[in-house]
Amino acid sequence: MALQSAAGSIRTGLIGFAFLSYLILIGIPGRIGGSALPVLALISALFFWLNLRREAAHHLARNPEQGLEGDEGKPGWEIGANADSDRSSLHALLTARPGTALALRGLLAGLTTGLLIAVVSGIFAAAMGNGVAIQPVLDKIVPINVAALIGVSPGQIVQAEVSFIRFLLQILLFAGAGTLAGLAVSAGGSNLTTAARSGFLAAHVSGPTLGSVGRFAGIALPFVLLAYIAWIGLPGVTAFGTNEGTVRLLLTLIATGSGLFAVRLSRPGREQRIVAVLLGLGVVSMPFILDQFQNSVMGLVFIFVMMGLGLNIVVGYAGLLDLGYVAFFAIGAYTYAFLSAPFSSPYISGLLILMGVSPDSPLLGYWMALPVAMLTAAIGGVLLGIPVLRLRGDYLAIVTLGFGEIIRLFMLNLGELTNGPRGILEISQPALFGVSPAGVTFGLLSSQGWIFLLALVSSALVAFVAIRLNSSRLGRAWFAMQEDEDVAEATGVHLVRTKLLAFAIGATFAGMAGQLYAARQINIFPENFTLFVSIDALALIIVGGIGSPAGIVLGALALKGLPEVLRGVDEYRIVTFAALLVIMMIVRPAGILPSARRRTQGTDPDEAGFDDSGELMEGLVSEEQVAASPGLANGKEEVR
Amino acid sequence: MTSRPVTARAAGTDGRAALKHFTRAFGAAIVVLVVWRVTTVGLAEGYPASFWISQALNGLVLGGVYALVALGYTLVYGILFMINFAHGEVMMIGGITGYFALQFALARGWMEGPWAIVVIALLTIMVIGMAASVLIGVALERLAYRPLRQAPRLVPLISAIGASLFLQYSVLLIFGVSPHSYRKPALISGGLRLGDVFIPYTGAIIFITSILLMLALYFIIQRTKLGRAMRAVAEDRATASLMGVDVNAVIVVTFMLGSALAGAAGVMLGFHNTVVKFNSGFIPGLKAFTAAVLGGIGNIPGAMFGALILGLIEAVGPSALGIPTEYKDVIAFSLLVLILIFRPTGLFGEVLSEKKA
Repeated sequence: MALQSAAGSIRTGLIGFAFLSYLILIGIPGRIGGSALPVLALISALFFWLNLRREAAHHLARNPEQGLEGDEGKPGWEIGANADSDRSSLHALLTARPGTALALRGLLAGLTTGLLIAVVSGIFAAAMGNGVAIQPVLDKIVPINVAALIGVSPGQIVQAEVSFIRFLLQILLFAGAGTLAGLAVSAGGSNLTTAARSGFLAAHVSGPTLGSVGRFAGIALPFVLLAYIAWIGLPGVTAFGTNEGTVRLLLTLIATGSGLFAVRLSRPGREQRIVAVLLGLGVVSMPFILDQFQNSVMGLVFIFVMMGLGLNIVVGYAGLLDLGYVAFFAIGAYTYAFLSAPFSSPYISGLLILMGVSPDSPLLGYWMALPVAMLTAAIGGVLLGIPVLRLRGDYLAIVTLGFGEIIRLFMLNLGELTNGPRGILEISQPALFGVSPAGVTFGLLSSQGWIFLLALVSSALVAFVAIRLNSSRLGRAWFAMQEDEDVAEATGVHLVRTKLLAFAIGATFAGMAGQLYAARQINIFPENFTLFVSIDALALIIVGGIGSPAGIVLGALALKGLPEVLRGVDEYRIVTFAALLVIMMIVRPAGILPSARRRTQGTDPDEAGFDDSGELMEGLVSEEQVAASPGLANGKEEVR
Repeated sequence: MTSRPVTARAAGTDGRAALKHFTRAFGAAIVVLVVWRVTTVGLAEGYPASFWISQALNGLVLGGVYALVALGYTLVYGILFMINFAHGEVMMIGGITGYFALQFALARGWMEGPWAIVVIALLTIMVIGMAASVLIGVALERLAYRPLRQAPRLVPLISAIGASLFLQYSVLLIFGVSPHSYRKPALISGGLRLGDVFIPYTGAIIFITSILLMLALYFIIQRTKLGRAMRAVAEDRATASLMGVDVNAVIVVTFMLGSALAGAAGVMLGFHNTVVKFNSGFIPGLKAFTAAVLGGIGNIPGAMFGALILGLIEAVGPSALGIPTEYKDVIAFSLLVLILIFRPTGLFGEVLSEKKA
């Protein structure tokens, strides 16, 4: 037994070493500089803590005498899904095991990691000290990182021997980190998570116990507070190379997101309506308060909300996996560009002459172009829909992906029509009654604020249409088709019409979004419409919670807004985002704010929000949802 | 497709049958258009036969590389029913590792030595690239896919997309943006001239190697105990597990096999295109996936033939249709759409039952 646990600790140490090596390779120590070693030790302590905690929970879960349910059936779900068994096993752990064993395991894991780091950095330092060239590419990244690790400047490695004491210090630091992690697990279990949970949105959690008034205050407080901070600003707060504007942007994003949580959390009926109206007023006033940069980011976020809502119709409601959604976005953008930019292509002029319009006359403004863009996109949707009517699942995914690429390649290569990679420049701005509200008349709105306001209004409209569609006859037909095409057809759903309508409506929304995007960008190029736009749109509806409009807004805030905040650490932005995407799928596959229909379907693995004592045991979000909607909780039982 | 209830087909006078005729008419129109274009424009250009032959040979070389990558997609799909979106990146990592191995060999002058040493060195480079890909493939399975086996099918797809971005940008952070160029040793940089047709040695080597690797894979799948276990798991995971097959081990081995082939493809594509960089796995990955779907995803011979056909069409298509080569991707994807109109589960996809598709 002891041998086995020792092997486990060494494995933990090895994984820790692999993790840290990755951080070293991508250049984190070099970025941090002098304090790199303590920071890495801290990171590894956190890693050991998580690992030991999991292992301890697993160990206890496997012992039947502890009276816990095993979770062999679904390996890997445990972080989020079995938080309750996690915690109760830690209670048992507190009483059943002495802390020394865990501390020893942590020590062993830390020693392994520290020893490996010391040996490897020692080898590199010795090689560099002796003037041995490593691979030319590695030579660029290794010296500065190794220097940071052993606490000297890069020049010093090359000149002098590096002292033995420094390597000993490395080993000791990591060993200490491991021991501390072990002690932390034995002494407090999940105290850190509990603290974090109650600290982050404390009012939300305490709300239910304080009665209606306290509850309302609890819901509104964090939202109002964050909104206040966001708009008044925190002078001089800077972090990670960001400036004040970025910090404000971050707070704006958090405020909007937590407002959405507040709506979800409040009691359905009057209370929810009040919170929703407050949130709406708050968000609508944002374009007038934020500056140009913040407005441009928020505008992009809400353009992607429109995209998400449209894609949600195709993927979430009708169950047709579409990876080429960017095509309709591009069609909308280019249609508007043709109609409003000075660039004139012979084809478009010819078309205009055919229609009896002089090609030199001023073309359509934003509002006149809107139906044209929507219609063109819808036609594109139907044209894509026809050949793929009989395809299912992944076949559909790859064909739509191909369609998206085809549209982009046409835009890139049809130079006469689209001006090729040089793009279309100087697209005119949307105006209202002939004047642009962003103009000098009132000075209330910046040009990007105007775009943000338009995006906000359009996405509200789109959301309204989408929600109404979902509960219409057509929405039920989509849902039936998603569940089983054959059965749906047998019960009288017209498959051709239903599928084509899903594609057409989804495409229409994307066309709207594309038009606004073209207006936002002023100049558009084929590179704006790569596969990554489709992937972003798909990722945001899945991260937010497929089928749920509130979730889509949240997903857009997180996936399109947050990365802009992280511009200061640009090089690590995408890696972090990608890693979070994977972790998010493992921890919470149903999305942050899953839709009601999904939750009643049982696709959400952490449905059970309550344990026996009625105490909330789940992650923050589902606590709130379940608490917020007693009707839903009842509905769940009815479904079963 | 065969398992559809008869009643539904009978009832579908309006829906299902209309759907089929509708799409087929659409497809037939496109076929007529393509034939018309080929006969009036492509063939009228009057290229010599040698031109067509060398284009076709180019296509076969590319198709061979696509086939190796497509096999990885199809193997994983056959067993887990998920698109391993990061497979192109697994290939790219093989290519990057192969580059460093090649630099090492070049620095020691092994590439100018006698031919036996060059051949051994080249083989070692390929094996090193394959090993790196296997390592990444197994790590992917363990960290990004295994925890999601029971999840709804969109979830592993998003996780795979995340993993793909993660790998790409990690390589960008570690090795930089600039492309790394493969330097061909003198031994294989020439070519063979048969009349007017020029065959570069690298092309021939790539094609032969990929055929050999595919034969090896086919042997493993069809003739060994391990292959039988893999086929059993693909057929029915639960039953296979009841019969004593270690499902987890089989899945890991599947990822290892697929990644090894992708690693070999990465190194060979490095020699073929002469450069590798962080995103050089993306487009070939997409093409290979298209090829796998073309042949009927989950079907091993399907992936091989799908890839060869795709490579051929991509190389010959632009000149045959008389359009610029920039449209070769358009041709590839259009071919896919066209074939799926007539055979919605791919060329060889009949074995796949509806529940999996």
